[in-house]
Amino acid sequence: MLRMIFRPGSLAVLCLVAAGNLAAEPTGDADSIVRSSNLAAYYAGQDGRAEARMIIRDAQGREQRRQFTILRQDVEEGGDQKFLVVFSRPSDVRGTAYLVDKHVGRDDDRWLYLPGLDLVKRISAGDKRTSFVGAHYFYEDVSGRGITEDSHELVETTDRYFILKHLPKKAAEVEFSSYVTWIDRATFLPMKIEYTNSSGNVYRRVEVLETEEVQGYPTVTRSRVQDLASGGETTIEFRFVAYDIGMPDAVFTERSLRNPPQRWLKRPGKD
Amino acid sequence: MSNHPEGRAGQGSLRCMAVLLLCIVMSSTGLAQDAAQNAGQNAGQEDGWDDDGWGDDWDGENSAGLVWTGFLEGGVGSRWKSDPQVGRKGTLQDLRVRAKTEWVGDSLSAGFIGELLLDGIADEVDVEIRDLTLSFSPTDRLDTKLGRQVLTWGTGDLLFLNDLFPKDWVSFFAGRDDEYLKAPSNTARLTFYGGLANIDFAWTPDFEPDTYLTGERFSFFSPAAGDLVAPDPPLNGIEPDGGFGNGEFAVRVFRTIRGVEYALYGYRGFFKQPTALTPERQPTFSRMTAFGGSVRRSWGPGLINSEFAQYISRDDRNGTNPLIPNSQLRFLLGYEWELMTNLTAGVQYYLEWTRDYSELVANSPFPQFEPDQYRHLVTTRLSYRAWQDKLVATIFVFYSPSDSDYYLLPKLTYRYSDQWSFTAGLNLFGGRKIQTFFGQFEDNGNVYARVRYHY
Repeated sequence: MLRMIFRPGSLAVLCLVAAGNLAAEPTGDADSIVRSSNLAAYYAGQDGRAEARMIIRDAQGREQRRQFTILRQDVEEGGDQKFLVVFSRPSDVRGTAYLVDKHVGRDDDRWLYLPGLDLVKRISAGDKRTSFVGAHYFYEDVSGRGITEDSHELVETTDRYFILKHLPKKAAEVEFSSYVTWIDRATFLPMKIEYTNSSGNVYRRVEVLETEEVQGYPTVTRSRVQDLASGGETTIEFRFVAYDIGMPDAVFTERSLRNPPQRWLKRPGKD
Repeated sequence: MSNHPEGRAGQGSLRCMAVLLLCIVMSSTGLAQDAAQNAGQNAGQEDGWDDDGWGDDWDGENSAGLVWTGFLEGGVGSRWKSDPQVGRKGTLQDLRVRAKTEWVGDSLSAGFIGELLLDGIADEVDVEIRDLTLSFSPTDRLDTKLGRQVLTWGTGDLLFLNDLFPKDWVSFFAGRDDEYLKAPSNTARLTFYGGLANIDFAWTPDFEPDTYLTGERFSFFSPAAGDLVAPDPPLNGIEPDGGFGNGEFAVRVFRTIRGVEYALYGYRGFFKQPTALTPERQPTFSRMTAFGGSVRRSWGPGLINSEFAQYISRDDRNGTNPLIPNSQLRFLLGYEWELMTNLTAGVQYYLEWTRDYSELVANSPFPQFEPDQYRHLVTTRLSYRAWQDKLVATIFVFYSPSDSDYYLLPKLTYRYSDQWSFTAGLNLFGGRKIQTFFGQFEDNGNVYARVRYHY
């Protein structure tokens, strides 16, 4: 199903990522580790698609589920990106679609389409660190947090990880006072992130549970976020991941909210 | 709208009881099932990723055959005391079943949303098709959607200037889901995506009015009577004859440039409510043309939007005919932002400027009841989400300083699970005078509750 077609474009990106890794390794410079990690986590390939399922579990163990397909296109490697998320389950959110124009250095533009009302609702930029469709993930976890929004410090290098501490530049805009990431030295994927509040307690933890290599890109296929204060958690699983599928720009416009682009949402290899 | 005569309160309350009973049975069994399911999952499987939990595996979604979804909903609502005009307390006694499906082919897709509604207030069984559409793209740049559908555009929050698609105000005032404020119409929609701009065109061959207040469920002010009325038989506006020229044509030209959304609008059709009178003094819909524009963008920590619309009353261009509404200019300015985490605030200023006002007053048989030349309206929305968005508390306030009236809509929605959700709220109206827009509905204030089960 995952045909290994090496296109010149994807090879170039691979080289770029590798070059980034090499550059980061000898200096151990925090900013370049964060840059490489950002590329590995959010910029694999020129574009990508994945099907995702989330299980949202509250402190009482009650579960809710979400299923969606996510499409991504990079406008610029390490820079602006576009995302389209189309929900298929549960039934009350089926057909709901979420479009993001992610900008580096200024606020993202975000729209939500509510099919029952045929309403294209714009979402204000402020509430990026609030629940993404009821999950313990934030909107910002889906599209990535701008790497210039925090200052980074390399606190430890172990056999497996770069351990970095990050402090927000605008503390008033976020609920954490700092966070620590464990970045895999081989793949540059952030394998664990722990958020600390103003009283010095870790209250939120994001962990990668499984990774897979897809078309040469190390890819997170299973991850979990825990709200340690409330006891709730959300697990997300990605399948049918494909990179460099050659989506045109038009996929990431208002048109796709009302009229989801079936050609790209459809599972690859299924006709 | 139902044309049933009123005065079957006895049957109505019986139906209401049945609905309530059904809701209770539904909820108790369903909740027990959910609890058992959750307990089983927690005990049996550590991570809950067993495909059984989804009801099928990953392939289920892509397998052949139609996927049917929908819900069952029960809703009740009541005034505090019986409305002397309408002669009853009840405002909502619904039992509703929805079935929804879609079929997606390579070049053609079809959608269907149908509902069966047992309406205890209208005392009838309704079959409502909210969506029955065929969609296809004849060219790369053109999307076509034909059939019964809900359409929305414009930038207002519960204020509609250039969105002249049908609204169902009866459902809205009765506390039905917000979705029902938008009524479906039989429309051909074509959307062209061009390099310079996108163009939406919607043609509704048969005029589709709003679902307006008729006196069956809610009373309203009648200038002729000089008082609140609830006519029996209910108010029934005379709709225009068929024919190409009496259809509705709506167009929108829109484009987003660097995150700023621009749109221009046009409409040719009728006032959506029976605000005109025939020479025989029967309520009817007079002809109207509208044009306008809107801008929406992020600004500071939030979103700012502005919209205007010019309504041209084609049957009374100079405003001298007392039977026909005058032309109006409508203007909106809105701002929405996150006040604090999970608390979103929205404020809007809205103006209705009645043109040719001196002609209106000079020719009106009831000048004392005519609205002000400038009707100012301010709205506020506060929306708070808690418990992973499972609980949403909203309060929306309309307040008119010129009319000295208000409409308050507090609402609480609790999404207990992916299947069960509960909603309760109030519709509170008030004002200094009985003839103003919200003031006339003071006796219609109501409290409602709904239970919904999604399948």
